[in-house]
Amino acid sequence: MALARSTDTGTVASAPATRRRMTPAVWARRGGLSTLAFGLPMVLVFALFSWWPILRSVVMSLQQTNFIVTEWVGVENFARVMADPLLGRAAWNTVQFTLWSVAIGFPTPILLAVFIAELRRTRAFASVLAYLPVIVPPVVAVLLWKNFYQPGDSGLFNTVLGWFGAGPLAWLNNGDLAIPSIIVEATWAGFGTATVIYLATLMTIRTELYEAAEIDGASILSRFWHITLPQMRGTLLIMFLLQVIGVFQLFTEPYIMTGGGPENRTVTVLMLIYRYAFVSGDYGRATALSLCLAAALAVLSAVYLWATRRWSQS
Amino acid sequence: MRRTSSRVGAGAAVTAATALLLIGCTSDTADNTPEAPAGAVDTDAPVTISISDLPTTENQESRDAMLARVDAFEELYPDITVEATETVWTADTFQAMLAGGAMPTVMSVPFTEVASLIERDQVADITDYIADSEVLAHLNPAVADHALDADGNIRGIPISAYPMGLIYNRALFEQAGLDPDDPPQTWDEVREAAIAIEENTDAQGFQTMTTDNTGGWVLTTMSYAFGDTLVNEDGTANVDNEATAQALEFYRSLRWDDNAMGSNFLLNYGDANNAFAAGQVGMFVQGADQYWYAVVNLGMDPDDFGVAPLPQDSDGLGTLGGGNVAVVDPAASPEEIAAAVTWIEFFYFNRFLDEEAAVTRAESDVAAGEAVGMPEIRIVGADEYERWLGWVADYVNVPRENFELFLSTVEDVPIVDEPAPSGQEIYAALDPVVQAVLTRQDADIDQLLGDAQATVQSVLDAAE
Repeated sequence: MALARSTDTGTVASAPATRRRMTPAVWARRGGLSTLAFGLPMVLVFALFSWWPILRSVVMSLQQTNFIVTEWVGVENFARVMADPLLGRAAWNTVQFTLWSVAIGFPTPILLAVFIAELRRTRAFASVLAYLPVIVPPVVAVLLWKNFYQPGDSGLFNTVLGWFGAGPLAWLNNGDLAIPSIIVEATWAGFGTATVIYLATLMTIRTELYEAAEIDGASILSRFWHITLPQMRGTLLIMFLLQVIGVFQLFTEPYIMTGGGPENRTVTVLMLIYRYAFVSGDYGRATALSLCLAAALAVLSAVYLWATRRWSQS
Repeated sequence: MRRTSSRVGAGAAVTAATALLLIGCTSDTADNTPEAPAGAVDTDAPVTISISDLPTTENQESRDAMLARVDAFEELYPDITVEATETVWTADTFQAMLAGGAMPTVMSVPFTEVASLIERDQVADITDYIADSEVLAHLNPAVADHALDADGNIRGIPISAYPMGLIYNRALFEQAGLDPDDPPQTWDEVREAAIAIEENTDAQGFQTMTTDNTGGWVLTTMSYAFGDTLVNEDGTANVDNEATAQALEFYRSLRWDDNAMGSNFLLNYGDANNAFAAGQVGMFVQGADQYWYAVVNLGMDPDDFGVAPLPQDSDGLGTLGGGNVAVVDPAASPEEIAAAVTWIEFFYFNRFLDEEAAVTRAESDVAAGEAVGMPEIRIVGADEYERWLGWVADYVNVPRENFELFLSTVEDVPIVDEPAPSGQEIYAALDPVVQAVLTRQDADIDQLLGDAQATVQSVLDAAE
């Protein structure tokens, strides 16, 4: 790997020689100042709003603070997080959310993008329709769906079930149905963005590949399997990772729709962080769990990238 | 070599940044709580304080009324400048506000939250500043000690108070053939009324909140009414007790035997109150001050609102109290704290001592559409309160005749403190218990309480 990288381009190889002659005057003359002027605002914004809070979280996870008096407590916050009986429940719920999201939320936009790509005259209109839910403000969408899931006979979904002589279901009030119900809402609210990204990728696949496959007698399914999916693999890999990271940080939907109920069946790790910070006022514990979540996601991402490295390079 | 040295440089930069960070953080460890004794306060020095709860421009009449009172105060105390802010208490923003030094000097905080703030030392100790206050000497002893810390220091001044009671819809009572002037006084009667409402109206008989800690909050109230507390006097957990089991059994009967609690059991404060104000629910346990939320805020017909004392079992202990406490920014200077106390006296208590102030306030409240004469626990002595009621009699716009039973007994039902420490965390541990009883017919109450007992004990252990 190292060898490959060092011989990638000649410019990289000649960089040390260039650097040796670089003086501040030369650097400024070559446009360094303007580069700095362009880059500095962004670096400052990042430093102030991203890197500083991250560093501050690391520090705060080792402290106990009421924002008036602060004391160092070492890893005590981490120990208290690990001792919380609700952590296991929240972690397992989060894993379940992720599994349901992968099962429902991941394939939906892919299939929809493939379908829209097949349209000719109405493709733009279909794209707009698919993207429409994303425009609805998240809280409004969640509250709408909360109403749809009303467990009585008058709830929208139960009314529909009633037409077929089924139901009514308790939906969010049922511990087994609550997670998939929330994921269906989250999928509806988020699939538009993914669909547009997949659609853009599909548009870059050369039509000759499909034409050749058609001449060879390949079916629609085998064209999808042998051409579409492999051609989209880069996008698919990233989108999958982003989706998993996003679901691990799920908060708004369960917070508004169920408040973590019934019986803590929809409490997520992020909701637990929120409770530590805003119900208990314990920022030390909240930041400690935030760092644990970040570490878990980093490890998960690394393992994922390692496991899929062959596919992403081929 | 250059690469190595640049790495060393980068390492040094990171180390320096971390060191700076740590230095920055160690400055936090300085205790910036004012230490100066009240005697050293220069009350003639110009001082500026900020206050919370200025109504927004959507409610221009109330806003103007408050600003007029700020002007009157500044005229009376020319050395004190008051900056009114629209800041209101929310648990989500308070910590950040405190960390950023943006907490108003005087802030109104709900009873349910003030104990946690005191535990975390996030409100100023005002003991020395109100020692000589004539006004505050008239506080009702039943509510005066609700903002004391473990050492008996005063950390806030109650400015409004109410007991938890049985809130009911008088119109639905009539439709169901019940007498709205004779509300249920036992839990069996509550159950009978719920069944009657369920059978004779389109509304559901009874509801209870279950999420955002409200399930635990109401279950605690019910446990008091059935005869026990959730934390023993020695600070150990007492969740697994007969009274709480009876309260849950009451829920279970209404839900599964009588089918009088509707179908949605994930209700927070807003959900429950919206349903009640919309006439969809007959009864629920809530604060008596709910009149304001239901009638003034949500537009419920004042004549439909009913409140009764919380029914007490034969060995009931009383009811939980609620309300608001005025607290002072812990980072305020001694001069600011002194000015803050002067403002609290003027703004919240003057009406009980001065007829003109009482009438002016009532007049502006009525003009702004606010409620005058709400069902509540008086925050001052009985004499002062009765005198105030006489002064503002012409402005009372709340149908107090509908709350006769409540008003005649409000002094008799003891107010029991919230579980402490970590009341909110205890409530959070009880939400799932209430949800389980209401969503699973086979829920084992004894096992649920046993599990919750262990959880609450760990909460109490962690708070030590």
